[in-house]
Amino acid sequence: MIGSLLKGSLRMPRDNDSPYLLDQHKRGLQNLDRMRRYSRSETVELVVVGAGAGGLTLAQRLARAGWKIVVLEKGPFWDPDRDWVSDEKGSSKIYWTDRRIISGNDPVEMGKNNSGVGVGGSMTHFAGYTPRFHPSDFEVRTRDGVGVDWPISYWDLKPSFERCERELPVAGQDWPWGDPHTYPHAPHPVSAAASVAWRGARDCGIEMRVGPVAIANGQFGNRPHCIYRGFCLQGCKVNAKASPLITHLPDGIEHGVEVRADSMAVRVEIDESSGRCTGVTYMTGGEERFQPADAVAVCGYAIESPRLLLHSTSRRFPNGLGNAEDQVGRYVMVQGATQIAARFPEDLRMYKAPPPEISSEQFYETDESRGFARGFSLQTVAPLPIGWAEHVMAEGHWGAKLREYMRDYNHWTVLAVLCELLPQPENRVTLSSYKDDNGMPVANFSHSKCDNDRKNVEYAAGVMQEIWDHAGAQDTLRIDRDAHLVGGCRMGFAPEDSVVDATHRVWGVPNLFVCDGSVFPTEGAANPALVIHALADRLAGLLKDKRI
Amino acid sequence: MRIDWAARLPGRRGADEAPADTDELPRQRRGTTPQMLGRYPEFDVLENASHWDATTRKAVLDRVENVPPIRFFSAREAATAGALCDILTAQDREPRIPVVNYVDEKLHDASLDGYQYYDMPDDRDAWRLVIRGLDEQAAARGGVETFAAASGELQHEIVSDFAQAKLHGGVWNGLNVKHAFSLIMRGVVQSYYGHPWAWNEIGWGGPAYPRGYSRFGSPHLQAAEREPWEGQEAYDRDVVRDELEEPPS
Repeated sequence: MIGSLLKGSLRMPRDNDSPYLLDQHKRGLQNLDRMRRYSRSETVELVVVGAGAGGLTLAQRLARAGWKIVVLEKGPFWDPDRDWVSDEKGSSKIYWTDRRIISGNDPVEMGKNNSGVGVGGSMTHFAGYTPRFHPSDFEVRTRDGVGVDWPISYWDLKPSFERCERELPVAGQDWPWGDPHTYPHAPHPVSAAASVAWRGARDCGIEMRVGPVAIANGQFGNRPHCIYRGFCLQGCKVNAKASPLITHLPDGIEHGVEVRADSMAVRVEIDESSGRCTGVTYMTGGEERFQPADAVAVCGYAIESPRLLLHSTSRRFPNGLGNAEDQVGRYVMVQGATQIAARFPEDLRMYKAPPPEISSEQFYETDESRGFARGFSLQTVAPLPIGWAEHVMAEGHWGAKLREYMRDYNHWTVLAVLCELLPQPENRVTLSSYKDDNGMPVANFSHSKCDNDRKNVEYAAGVMQEIWDHAGAQDTLRIDRDAHLVGGCRMGFAPEDSVVDATHRVWGVPNLFVCDGSVFPTEGAANPALVIHALADRLAGLLKDKRI
Repeated sequence: MRIDWAARLPGRRGADEAPADTDELPRQRRGTTPQMLGRYPEFDVLENASHWDATTRKAVLDRVENVPPIRFFSAREAATAGALCDILTAQDREPRIPVVNYVDEKLHDASLDGYQYYDMPDDRDAWRLVIRGLDEQAAARGGVETFAAASGELQHEIVSDFAQAKLHGGVWNGLNVKHAFSLIMRGVVQSYYGHPWAWNEIGWGGPAYPRGYSRFGSPHLQAAEREPWEGQEAYDRDVVRDELEEPPS
């Protein structure tokens, strides 16, 4: 009870020294010279593919338990001082910008929208929202008759949510929705731009709260306080916003994790007789290499994890790993993330303060009177000039009209929703006929919305419009878009309906795991980052206790 | 006379009416803006460059001082692409942001956006096809050899049809015209609104690292307070003749 009252540096994480291993005045990792280097003739205990929220959390936990771990990462090892700029246009290198084909009735734009590259993964440029899932998210089939139930419950993940919130750390007001809880850091101040949305929401009876965001609010080891410059989506040059590059890897390195950057995994190799995996073949500097391992964890996210499993074919697994029942790559989900911008007489300058500020989960659960299953969350966002221009051009403006709206930038503020879209088997990743520089087929992601999805998005847009009407908006602009990526290697009860079991183990390959957002059977209406951390935390607990 | 900018927005004044605000904008006095249009006459984001970290400063100043040469487009393609970029950003006179040079750089470096619609070719091929299609339109409608040689009026008419996906036949059959227009626009706005002259035009504070912001309003304030170094918006036609008024509260 006392613990819930303590905020800020009084509640430092246990079993993760990362905040102390950074330097207050330098952003890059300080212990790289101590990073262990394993020989490629040595069989390590685990190879992790992908240095994001899933992979690095898993590696840090298991390294503390004494495992020898090599992490393969396609992109570079970032030093934010040297590599990142406080600039929108100059930040494209932190997004996965290699070719991907998008198709279906509602193709999903990739790149900066939802895909990261380099050590730290997509969280280097996520907005910062870190809500938990609700208990209902794990049993939507039972409760609402849609989607599918998870093989685990909220209560299996609750201790992991709490541990990870302390490590990031998450700042926000006490949270009344889902399983009510508190946060380790106090809420950040609310900007003028977000307070206008708050005013409108209050006026029409919608409750909004500050946060939750993974941005330190106060001293956190050697991580500085946020300076409110508004560049969360371009990579935090301050080290105030969390990414596993700074929240988990520094501690992992102290305990023997090796990260091999610029190393693209191309195949998980299999012993044909036993059906166990033997390690990972990867490309680095134009050369093919192999790292043997006792076990492999694929943590490449919803596009690349299915792509790697589909590409890892053998005589024993001619359709790829975990794919005997044609499940790999299916049920990929995005959240309907329509935004409505609103114009006010005041000078709002939304670019100041963190882009994620206040949010509401009042519409999260199913309400039959709305005419569709499941719901959405509401959040404020704050596009910088290029992002704002994309808003304006979404309504068909170009030329003089584009520039008129752009000159009006400082009077605008933006609300966004995250609508829970339902898992569908044909929303899937397959291998296309295009190949990348390594000769590996690139992913084709096909996506179409179902009727329930469209109803959800339209209802949510109506709520945003209502908030702006109540706030006294003079003009609005709408952009229909999608956010986040989950599913593709979903967790389930049997190989006929999933790719991994409740312990993340790939059906049919006993020492192969998938640990990232691709294992989500449903997506909730919450941003996925914290849930990915929590799943990795839980899996690490199971593995190090030898429970699987 | 106080100007109500909101009433002049395209969404408020009716979509078909011509742009209304440029004649009313204050005279730009400090920072350069494209065509010297803008609402922040005393603001120059580049005056803050010494407050930016060196990596960011280099990236931003390079855009002004080291305009990349044309390497991807041929001279003929560059002329048409340049005319297209100018129409899409309403840049009809100097000073201009050289949008086409940055588009060329992006395509030359193959620094693409990370996705390709199933019904579109590679982004680099799509740009070339669009340029060819615009030249064909200019020839068919105006009897001129290239889009760049067409009158401003004709260019505007062709781009209007392009924006509404009303171009058919020839190269347009090999493209999804709607996706092609959005591809072109993405490249154009990244280049235009990535340039500090455009930041002067819209009054955005710029990189602000490592300085950050301290004045961003609160639920108790009606509006964001400005940092001392941020520009104040003008609400009057002529800042030299008239006193500036405070923003409405």
